[in-house]
Amino acid sequence: MANLSEHMTKARDMGLDNGRVPVEYYTSADYFRREQDMIFRRAWLMVGRVDEVPEPGDYIVRDLPTLKASVVIARGKDGKVRAFHNACSHRGVALVCQERGNAMTFRCPYHAWVYRIDGSLSAIPAEQDFPHVDKATSGLAPIHLDSWAGFIFLNFAQEPEATLPQFLAGLDQMLEGAPFEQFPFCIRVTDEIDCNWKNLVNAFNEGYHVAILHSKTLRPAVVPKENPHLHYLDVKHFGPHSAGTVQRNFDYNPQAPALTWVYAQMLPTSAPDIAAIEEGRAGFYEHPGINRLKIPNFGTETITIFPNISIQPLANGYLFYQFWPINEGRMRTEVRIYSRHAPRTLREEYAMASTLAATRDVVVEDMAMSRLQQIGFESGGKTHQQFGQNEPLLRMFTRDYEAYLQGKGMGQP
Amino acid sequence: MTESVNLPAGFEDLAPYAAVWGSLETQEERYLQRQHSTMKDLKAYYDATAPRLNAIFDHLDQFPMDALPDSEALLYRTALGLTETAMAIEVFNQPRVPYAPFPHKMAIEWNEYR
Repeated sequence: MANLSEHMTKARDMGLDNGRVPVEYYTSADYFRREQDMIFRRAWLMVGRVDEVPEPGDYIVRDLPTLKASVVIARGKDGKVRAFHNACSHRGVALVCQERGNAMTFRCPYHAWVYRIDGSLSAIPAEQDFPHVDKATSGLAPIHLDSWAGFIFLNFAQEPEATLPQFLAGLDQMLEGAPFEQFPFCIRVTDEIDCNWKNLVNAFNEGYHVAILHSKTLRPAVVPKENPHLHYLDVKHFGPHSAGTVQRNFDYNPQAPALTWVYAQMLPTSAPDIAAIEEGRAGFYEHPGINRLKIPNFGTETITIFPNISIQPLANGYLFYQFWPINEGRMRTEVRIYSRHAPRTLREEYAMASTLAATRDVVVEDMAMSRLQQIGFESGGKTHQQFGQNEPLLRMFTRDYEAYLQGKGMGQP
Repeated sequence: MTESVNLPAGFEDLAPYAAVWGSLETQEERYLQRQHSTMKDLKAYYDATAPRLNAIFDHLDQFPMDALPDSEALLYRTALGLTETAMAIEVFNQPRVPYAPFPHKMAIEWNEYR
């Protein structure tokens, strides 16, 4: 790198002068209701991977706390993946009670109305008593579904204002062909925390805190001497979505015995596979949309998909974070650690459990701060928080958040 | 149940740690156990097991991972506690993640695995 600082994108470089942001966005029940209607009922929301339902008849049930939605995602006999509200057309029962499975029909446990895997209503017991029900139009209520790179997105609008590719606004093109499917094995960690969801969104959108909050966990592995505040590099933006390049400290050489033993069994997801990189089979590292600067000590590309997703491709897998508001002061964090395969030996299983503990503890640090932040916000002494020149993505998120609340954001002028 | 199962020959000295960590089945339970432990107890357990990870897994390697005999399964569960304890000893120098709520539970799901 001739001059790293040239690539440290500042807020002013992106024309973002909103350095003071109202605390009210983070504490008000009214704002939360507007977020439900103007963001979460309009944006495309990622809810899983198509490989979670690989075969015809495979289904999963997901609950989306923000919209209080219970959703069935099922692959039909025709191979098509569909999504439905999990609610019987008769008297509303959330009829699919298993979290995942394989079936060709769903039968309501209350009165045995039966639906096909494509959501259509196939049988009503004592049908003669329901002459007013048109079976052809009384299937499970469909939800718009599309997928990109194997990720399933839903849209809860009656008619989406934009297609998924329009919504992704070029982020999809930059990441075209990125090998997410090479990392099918997933460990999922979830937690509910007393804080506004945007606190966590913001934490993943700046590296400024890494050397401080994560001084014992991430800092030694990630923060390089030449970028002590871990400024994101080469920030790219696509509509409300973004990506920034993050370095890694290649001098990191852990000496702690238990951790070192884990590294010897199986490379953790977050560690660079130097041998693989040298052999040109480095997964995401080879992708042209990732690490465009070709920095030698590349760590990850932090990819933010509006409104509530952060994806971090790593040499040996990827991390996926999702932040669901429950109300203005409570949220659910979901972390998924994706790797190449399930553990094949006890040594690998131990190594994965160890990596999981380490990854979780970093997120726990972020969640702990987000909770303390909420306590501070709600104390009421401050009307605004400050976003620095080195926090451009926080300002950008806020700009696009405001646009959505005003009914814009999805390609409208 | 674990009271009636003994550790494999050569690992009998880990019995005090098996009594604590060997009864835990999930990572969620191990995370909570770490939070509720003192550094003194964690350090004693760490000192007894960390240097023997190779010996433990050399022994476990002789068995199919999906069909460990009871004694080996106990030894494996005992070793797994180190995945949490190492964070306390090698990283934080305290049992809990700083500033986190206590006790802190986190749901962990290994997708369609075992």
